[in-house]
Amino acid sequence: MSQTILLPERPPSAIALLLNGIFGENPVFRLALSLCPAVAVTTTVANGLMLGVAVLLVQVLSSVTVALVRRGIHPRVRIPAYTIIIAVWVSAIDMTLAGYFPVIYAQVGLYVKLIVAFAIIISRLEVFASRMPLIPTFWDGLGMGLGFLFALIVIGAFRELLGSGAILGHAVTAEKPLLFFALPAGGFFTIGILMALFNAIERWKCGGKAPAATGGGAHG
Amino acid sequence: MSAPATGGGGVPGAAVSKAPTWAPGETWRIVLSMTLICAAGAAILGGVYLGTERYAEASRQRNERAAVEDLLSLGPGATVAEIRQYLSPARDAVIYRAGGGDAAASAEAAAAAREFVFALDGTLLRSGDVAPAAADAKGLLPLGRIFAATRAGAPAGFVVEGEARGYKNRIRFFVALDGDWRIAGVRVVEHEEDPGLGAEVATDWFQGQYAGRGMEDVVSMDVTKDPMPEDWRGALRRRGAADGREWAEQFGSLQSREAGHPIYAVTGATISSRALTDGVRATILHFRRRWALLEPYLHDAAGGE
Repeated sequence: MSQTILLPERPPSAIALLLNGIFGENPVFRLALSLCPAVAVTTTVANGLMLGVAVLLVQVLSSVTVALVRRGIHPRVRIPAYTIIIAVWVSAIDMTLAGYFPVIYAQVGLYVKLIVAFAIIISRLEVFASRMPLIPTFWDGLGMGLGFLFALIVIGAFRELLGSGAILGHAVTAEKPLLFFALPAGGFFTIGILMALFNAIERWKCGGKAPAATGGGAHG
Repeated sequence: MSAPATGGGGVPGAAVSKAPTWAPGETWRIVLSMTLICAAGAAILGGVYLGTERYAEASRQRNERAAVEDLLSLGPGATVAEIRQYLSPARDAVIYRAGGGDAAASAEAAAAAREFVFALDGTLLRSGDVAPAAADAKGLLPLGRIFAATRAGAPAGFVVEGEARGYKNRIRFFVALDGDWRIAGVRVVEHEEDPGLGAEVATDWFQGQYAGRGMEDVVSMDVTKDPMPEDWRGALRRRGAADGREWAEQFGSLQSREAGHPIYAVTGATISSRALTDGVRATILHFRRRWALLEPYLHDAAGGE
């Protein structure tokens, strides 16, 4: 993550931050963070969509909270403090869904609690929200959340189409073309293929040069 | 992360290998910082809980009510009365409360609840109205609930809540009985059995084995490790998808053939299978005894309205 748009003199614009989250530093395809849930959940588009929206909400709320209260967080204990902030928002969303949207909760309740441990959220708090003003932090959180949502939908569509021969639950082929892609190993292959595609596009845009920012460590 | 650490109170240029220097009083600032964050988080979560809990409870009750209606195949026009059973704090009396209680669900349910208290030998100790707020009072041990369905004044069946000690934790289930005290269905509503093994007791095909058994079948109901006959397995697997009446026409003879047979255990999960079977039997036998005590008084109460 050396040649990213971080730590400039002036905070980047909203559009630049949104595009950075969706393409330039896409959490799944470029940063290779939170791959485990990205594989586990994305057997269908609908599952990916629901988890993606939940992550988007938690990312924006946690980033904004950290930007607001970072003066009260002692630097030596900032990681536990971030974890508590994320956990508070995840629990609040969990209870709200259980109370007001029981139908949705029945499907995503299991996944929502897992968001506490998503590497992408805490890494944006550490890398961006802890040192940038409120407004750019909001756009960064929104961009990263949208990037994760986008990645889950693309992976989900790819795997649902190839694995189950359907899109959004509607069958488009008579039988299951490649069941392999609905299985967990197929999820990793899907991410690998899409990651290669992202790199190829980047390379083409950069005029044949290798892309600068590639994936970091694959954290949970 | 490759990102450089922020702040940290270290002196610029200090060697990384050295133990970090701690400014005086820093420990206390850290403790204060974490305490404030945790307290604020707890306050927020407490507020959200207070704001959402009654809706979550209401939706749980709706789900339960739907399960009851589904188990008894109640159409429109049927009413379901909920009766809660408790053991007194001194464990010397069984308390029944009918009506009232779930004030969150609807306004008419918030009316006064009727309470009947029986000694363990079956004599009525007292009866009378209790305030709805008194429901689920402290010290009372819940013994599960009874949902009594009536259609046009005639009893249309019961659903009794029961609990069994499963392989890992308790298994909570509903047993539905039709007007002839025959099992109309069993549904596991909460369990923590192992996926692929004990959790199979919550599937339609396993629970379907209980339906259709009469009282005398229930008394002697046992569990066997014998393999399930293929025709019966096929019939049970079709039970969830098919229309109830059609299924009964097609497989009714098979069901009556199997009613006297033991329950076929889930392969590799005999403990869970036996736990649910024993729990279903105990729940039905308890309920039969209690209902014989309670019913005459309930009729008086209903007649008075």
